[in-house]
Amino acid sequence: MVDALVEIHRVLAPGGILVDARPDSRVSAYAERRKPRGFQRFGIVKTSRLELANDRASDRAIARAVRDELFKRRRRGRFWHLVPFSDLAELRKYLREHLRFVHRAEWVVDAATRNRHSNDQFVIRRAVRYELLEACPPDS
Amino acid sequence: MSSVTKDCVGDFGKHVPAYASTLRPRPHDELREWGGSRLVRGKRVLDLGCGDGRLALGVARLATRVEGIDPDPEAVASAKTNSRRAGVRNARFAVGAAQHLPYPDGAFDVVILSWTL
Repeated sequence: MVDALVEIHRVLAPGGILVDARPDSRVSAYAERRKPRGFQRFGIVKTSRLELANDRASDRAIARAVRDELFKRRRRGRFWHLVPFSDLAELRKYLREHLRFVHRAEWVVDAATRNRHSNDQFVIRRAVRYELLEACPPDS
Repeated sequence: MSSVTKDCVGDFGKHVPAYASTLRPRPHDELREWGGSRLVRGKRVLDLGCGDGRLALGVARLATRVEGIDPDPEAVASAKTNSRRAGVRNARFAVGAAQHLPYPDGAFDVVILSWTL
């Protein structure tokens, strides 16, 4: 990853901007039922161990590129993104097949409630983080 | 693609989790969060890990020129098809790896790693 950041620095004009945006694994995602007004939290969806490790490696690569004065940190933030599902079965299928999350949610409602609302629309609410980094001049 | 490039692409691909493009935020939503259209307006933009071109094509109407690069040949083929369908003329897509970018020094004003690193 550090190699990639060095290469990105090469192709960026001095003062150019690198945008690093990715899911924020430091924050849990949530499985929620869509209600006529708002959402009801049904479960917590954690990030898989492998992806947590990958995210930490990415963080270290960025930190090293900043330390090596390839980039200066300019601005960072986080926003929430909703992934929609037509029903609970579709959400479960997504979790089974998706690499980023653990394959089962930790439900915070009982089985009877899940069954009662299984045909309702659901979302996974997940955090997305981003950071803008400015390319330092090559000789700085 | 040369064997060297294939090896690099293959290795890089191992570290990149697959994300369904349709399940990600819309390009203008992401752009708004990053600070708005001024970030890419009139700029030369590289979308690294462009996938099917979702984000690259989203910013192409604002940017001077957009290049998308991705290790997955099928994704790049999709990006080219999507670009043709959308009638976008200032975006180009290629197969490649982040460690060996086929561009000269200082070729871009903005590089986007959206769900890539």
